[in-house]
Amino acid sequence: MIPLELYILLASAMFTIGLYGLVTQKNGIKLMMCIELLLNSANINLVAFSASQPNVNGQVFALFSIALAAAEAGVGFAILIALYRLYGTIDLDNINAMRW
Amino acid sequence: MYADYAYLIVALPVLAFLLCLFIGGHLPRGGGFITVLATLGAFIVSYGIFSETYPHEIVHQSMHWFAEFNVGILIDPLALVMLLMVSFVVTLIHIYGNGYMNGDPGADRYFAEAALFSASMLGLVFADNLLQLFIFWELVGLCSYLLIGFWYRKPSAAAAAKKAFLTTRVGDVLFLAGIILLYNNLASLDLALKPGEYLLQFPVIYANIAAIPGDQLTLIALGLLGGAVGKSGQFPLHVWLPDAMEGPTTVSAMIHAATMVTAGVYLVARMFPLFYAAPHGLTAVAAVGAFTALFAATMGLTAFDIKRVLAFSTVSQLGFMMAGLGVGAAVGAMAVGVSMFHLIGHSFFKALLFLCAGSVIHAVNTNDLREMGGVGKYMKWTMFTMLIGSLSLAGFPMFTGFFTKDEIILIAYEYGTMINFLPYIFLVVAAILTAIYTFRMWFSVFTGKERSNYGKHESPWVMLGPLVILAVFAAGFGVATQSEFYEYLDSNFEHYDLDFAELGIIGGHVLEEGHGAAEEDHAAAEGEHAGEEEHHLPWYIHYLPIVIAIGGILIAGLFYWDKIKKFDPSQVTGDKDPLRQTLLKGYYQHEILTGWFAETLVYGTALICNMIDIKLVDGWLNWLSSWVMGFAGHVRKVQTGIVQNYVTALVLGVVVLVVVIALAMKAMEVGLV
Repeated sequence: MIPLELYILLASAMFTIGLYGLVTQKNGIKLMMCIELLLNSANINLVAFSASQPNVNGQVFALFSIALAAAEAGVGFAILIALYRLYGTIDLDNINAMRW
Repeated sequence: MYADYAYLIVALPVLAFLLCLFIGGHLPRGGGFITVLATLGAFIVSYGIFSETYPHEIVHQSMHWFAEFNVGILIDPLALVMLLMVSFVVTLIHIYGNGYMNGDPGADRYFAEAALFSASMLGLVFADNLLQLFIFWELVGLCSYLLIGFWYRKPSAAAAAKKAFLTTRVGDVLFLAGIILLYNNLASLDLALKPGEYLLQFPVIYANIAAIPGDQLTLIALGLLGGAVGKSGQFPLHVWLPDAMEGPTTVSAMIHAATMVTAGVYLVARMFPLFYAAPHGLTAVAAVGAFTALFAATMGLTAFDIKRVLAFSTVSQLGFMMAGLGVGAAVGAMAVGVSMFHLIGHSFFKALLFLCAGSVIHAVNTNDLREMGGVGKYMKWTMFTMLIGSLSLAGFPMFTGFFTKDEIILIAYEYGTMINFLPYIFLVVAAILTAIYTFRMWFSVFTGKERSNYGKHESPWVMLGPLVILAVFAAGFGVATQSEFYEYLDSNFEHYDLDFAELGIIGGHVLEEGHGAAEEDHAAAEGEHAGEEEHHLPWYIHYLPIVIAIGGILIAGLFYWDKIKKFDPSQVTGDKDPLRQTLLKGYYQHEILTGWFAETLVYGTALICNMIDIKLVDGWLNWLSSWVMGFAGHVRKVQTGIVQNYVTALVLGVVVLVVVIALAMKAMEVGLV
């Protein structure tokens, strides 16, 4: 039985990496991947807590979350493809038409 | 039984208005027959009520509207004679209109508006409270605007419509102020109203006039007089009436005879007890009326447009009516009968004169007296009917105008012996001028040689029929109804809870008259006809009006009738004569009112106000908004358009929130909060 702390550590590490990537990266795809990391770190937490105190609610939520992530990825990539068609790049530094 | 259908008097013309408005275009002649039938129906109902109630009953129906107001119908002798006259004259004018407007592409619009015009005037007359009267009053104003500007593509017609609307609006504001003042005063009396009684109902007003302070009464009376001055074209708000000629002639006939200008006189007659009780109230009415009568008559002398002559004559005759009411200070409620008699008589012969003028214009195609002459050869019927109208207007013995106008002059003399001779003098001079300008017009149109090549044919019978009917009334109405009319109208205020002797004391009339006038007023109010009063008038006062009328006609004939022509007008006054110029230009009213008052004074004030508005009112607002814009210009730099910055802000925000919440929870645990 793996102790709960390790799961939380793993989740925290994934979350931090994701956040770091989100703030620093410029490539749209990388940003999508970072967002997946954030979501999945949360999923790990949900499943870990659910297993440690026998209660399936957490795992159910994790399933919802995965479904949500799939939808989000679909929309996100669609936007990126549209952006690419329009600008010829997905470097977000160049896509700033909505600035002041 | 007819009284149950009293509402039809207004409902039928309103229905005609809707029908003509929506389907009139698909009917022959714009659906004019609908309007004729509707007003005819109103006349039949009015006549039915008359035959049921004459001479001692009134009809009063009322229902709750909202708060302290009601809608209701009050048909007393005063209202009834007006209803009969308005519906009758208007019906004839509409019949005539069917011929006159034939072929006009806007005929359906004309008949719709004309029906609404009739409806509003009838509604104004039978209203049982001041508020309802005011609403119809405004409707009359609106309809006059629409009809005067009927040919709205003509710039002069559009301008005349605007002028009429704005000028009467000045009076209407005063009228509204008067109503509000009256309402406030009545409300402050804390009356114990029975169910079905409302503050602004005429019976309630009449019953409580005596309780209102005198100075307030004067203010109210002046406000109401302001409204009447605007609607009835009295000096100084008369300027719109001559210009109102721009509409179709039938509209002029309606405005001048039946449906609009009489409203002001009717208002003063309706509120006569209040004017009587208000110190100086009737003096103001008499002054305005007598001055207007003379003032307008002098302008009628020189006008060249046949309709303008008639318009000035209307203004002048309305002055007579106002003065007739005003001199009621001396003779009491009898003045209402005398003045209303002239109003009814006048509406017959003035409608006749206008329709005759319309018939002439229809054939001759010009308004200018200088281009007519000798029309009588081609238009026999028009000539004779117009002769009857002119004789009546001039006050030739045994015609309607003789009985109606001269009675006003006689009571003005009465007023003169008691208070002041000025109104009498003004009215006598105005009466001479009336005879002169009326026959100047008639001789110029129908006698002499043709002064231009005009259309020579008589008008169709749909137009001549109403002329003949009106001519019968213009000739015979006065002699046929004289004594009954006075008795009937004198009984008007007996139906209400008021005492003219008491009101006279408030108004200060008793002291001025000095010989027990209170009883006399009372006697007059009770229907004892003024015959006894006439006994003590000198004989020459009685015969003076006859001399005036015949003399005036003779003078006009000497100048303008080729058979007895002795003088040429240009011998008396050359074109350069300053007096003639003054009259021709209408006392430079246009220069003074438009040039100086409107363009210099009002426009100048408007410019100053505009500057204040731009610099001061807009100024600080613009300063505020530019400051906001500048500040926002700095703040908006936050929107960099780089997603990473937004994410950073988001994360920082969450962190701050977490920290704050954690601190707050900690504080709660420790019990700080």
